[in-house]
Amino acid sequence: MDTVLKVKGLKKNYGSLQALKGISFEIQTGEIFALIGPNGAGKSTALRIIATLLSPAEGEVEVLGFNLRKEPEKIRERISYLPEEAGAYRNQRGIEYLKFMATFYAPEPQVAAEYVKRGTEVADLGERLYDRVGTYSKGMVRKLLLARALMTRPLLAILDEPTSGLDVINSLEIRQIIREYVKQGTTVLLSSHNMLEIEFLSDRVALIDKGVILDSGTPRELKEKYSADNLEEVFRRAVR
Amino acid sequence: MRKFMNLLKKEIKELLNVQLIVSLLFTLSLFYFMGILVQGEKEKMAAPQEVAILDLDGSSVAQGLAQGLSSANFHLNKLEEKSKEEAIEKARGSGASLLVVIPSGFGEAVSSFQSPEIETYYFIRGVSISSTGASGVLKMVIAAMNDYLSSSFLKDKVPGVDPERLKNPLKNRDFVVVKDRIEEGSPAEVINFLMSQSTFIPIILMLIIIYSSQMVISAVAMEKENKTLETLLTCPINRNYIVVTKMLSSGLVGLLTAGIYMIGLRNYMGEFGRAPTSGQLTPVVERLGLVFTPEGYFFLGVSLFFAILCGLALAVILGVLAKDLKSAQSLVMPITLLVLIPYFLTMFSDFNSLSFPLKILIWAIPFSHPFLATQNILLANYPPVLYGILYMFTVFAILVLLAARIFSSDRVLTMKLQLRRKGLMGIRM
Repeated sequence: MDTVLKVKGLKKNYGSLQALKGISFEIQTGEIFALIGPNGAGKSTALRIIATLLSPAEGEVEVLGFNLRKEPEKIRERISYLPEEAGAYRNQRGIEYLKFMATFYAPEPQVAAEYVKRGTEVADLGERLYDRVGTYSKGMVRKLLLARALMTRPLLAILDEPTSGLDVINSLEIRQIIREYVKQGTTVLLSSHNMLEIEFLSDRVALIDKGVILDSGTPRELKEKYSADNLEEVFRRAVR
Repeated sequence: MRKFMNLLKKEIKELLNVQLIVSLLFTLSLFYFMGILVQGEKEKMAAPQEVAILDLDGSSVAQGLAQGLSSANFHLNKLEEKSKEEAIEKARGSGASLLVVIPSGFGEAVSSFQSPEIETYYFIRGVSISSTGASGVLKMVIAAMNDYLSSSFLKDKVPGVDPERLKNPLKNRDFVVVKDRIEEGSPAEVINFLMSQSTFIPIILMLIIIYSSQMVISAVAMEKENKTLETLLTCPINRNYIVVTKMLSSGLVGLLTAGIYMIGLRNYMGEFGRAPTSGQLTPVVERLGLVFTPEGYFFLGVSLFFAILCGLALAVILGVLAKDLKSAQSLVMPITLLVLIPYFLTMFSDFNSLSFPLKILIWAIPFSHPFLATQNILLANYPPVLYGILYMFTVFAILVLLAARIFSSDRVLTMKLQLRRKGLMGIRM
């Protein structure tokens, strides 16, 4: 198995607040790796750094063999990022949004058309895909954004709270889609504070709190280690 | 290039939305209808003015006076009423705006060199352009009557001499000197022409800079508010493309908007360039060489172009500071101020007569240069224009580098303008 992501001693400060205090982890090809922790634990900051949005204060990040500081453009070509509070252009139609984003990733128009076709399937919005995004519900926007993130079949998909704002049925569908894409070769780094979701979805998990990774392993390993029935219990015991 | 065009197309579509198109069409039609109204009023003003006249004297002098008014392009309505009161009533009902009453004994008073009194009644029925213009008619009527009477006096007393030569014994010839050229003509004409040229172009410039800057700031702020910026920044696009496409699209749409406003304004004003006082080339202006040569147009275009670019680059940086669309509105203020200061200063005072610190201030503001360039180009004074262009290019380069640097770092997401307590402003990085 190849290493898709290497994070070593990653630190980030916002003024006097230290959001990340030197976290380290690695993700292998075809894995679903989850960062779990409460709000403000540093999950989104870590994901935003890996997605090339924020620059680290200290530490090293290597994505698919490319150094984050030196070659962020090469990383951007190979990853996709779904922010927790993302939006789409309200004046664009859903289909226009997918076409717009596909053009940035596709080397030629035919490939872009393939991406859009795939995105249309993932979004599963039917005729509503031809309506303006401004008329969509929060759940519909989220599905459109997830479709955008997965349609290019990225080597690494960084998904921050992927089912945020979705109802139970939609959340189940999204989890299913993520699993299918992993089977087709996409590696996933996700964050969530919904620990039940993580337990269902992830191959490996890192518990993060106050900018520090407390522990990591498969959900089963962690449950055994902490003699817990679920990841919520694991987290509670790890924090102690 | 495909990615750049994709981004540019999206930016233009975002800006050129239905709301903007409707508001532009509305403005255009508003100006058009206002123009029609104003034109109608102007035509009324230009038509011969109707003056009601009551001659209670009946002397030959009084009749001559009435004839004098007729020949001075007034449409006379002679009333046959017996008294002043009846004439006022009649004029009030007829819709005339001016009534002249020549009292009995008028002719005799004129013949004996006393100052006879005539009474004029001005009827105010509204405050439209034509009615306010009609108040000037009163002065013209008095002037025409005085002219007629004084000429009559002089003809009687000094026969054989043209009364005009006696009334205006002094003749003068006006010359205007511009650089090495001396030409005969009215200085007022030249000054009016220069003023009109340096007013029209700055209005366009002011509109373009303010509109375009507002659009750039709003475009960046909207990306932040709608949470689309983060996604865009993680796409495989050169981040400079994001900066450039925002500037370019706003510049293009700003240009279009300003153009439409100017067409509307032109319709409204209607008379742009028709009268010599409002900017038409007169012989003296032409002879003095105060015309835009192709070279002059080129330099003015370059000057305007760089001023717009400076505005757009500054707007991109200010847009980054905006938290949302609401805060973006207030961030246009610094640019508006920077445009208005040179606009008013160059309009109401001569740059060369300003104090040294004020000159430095005006020079330091990049938007001042096209304002100053118009007059300098007309006066063939090119060095200040070139220095201005060079200065604006430098400012633009610095601002673009700064904007590109902000967009290529995480400051684009973390920089915010904060209104702290006690009203102090600060930038949080």
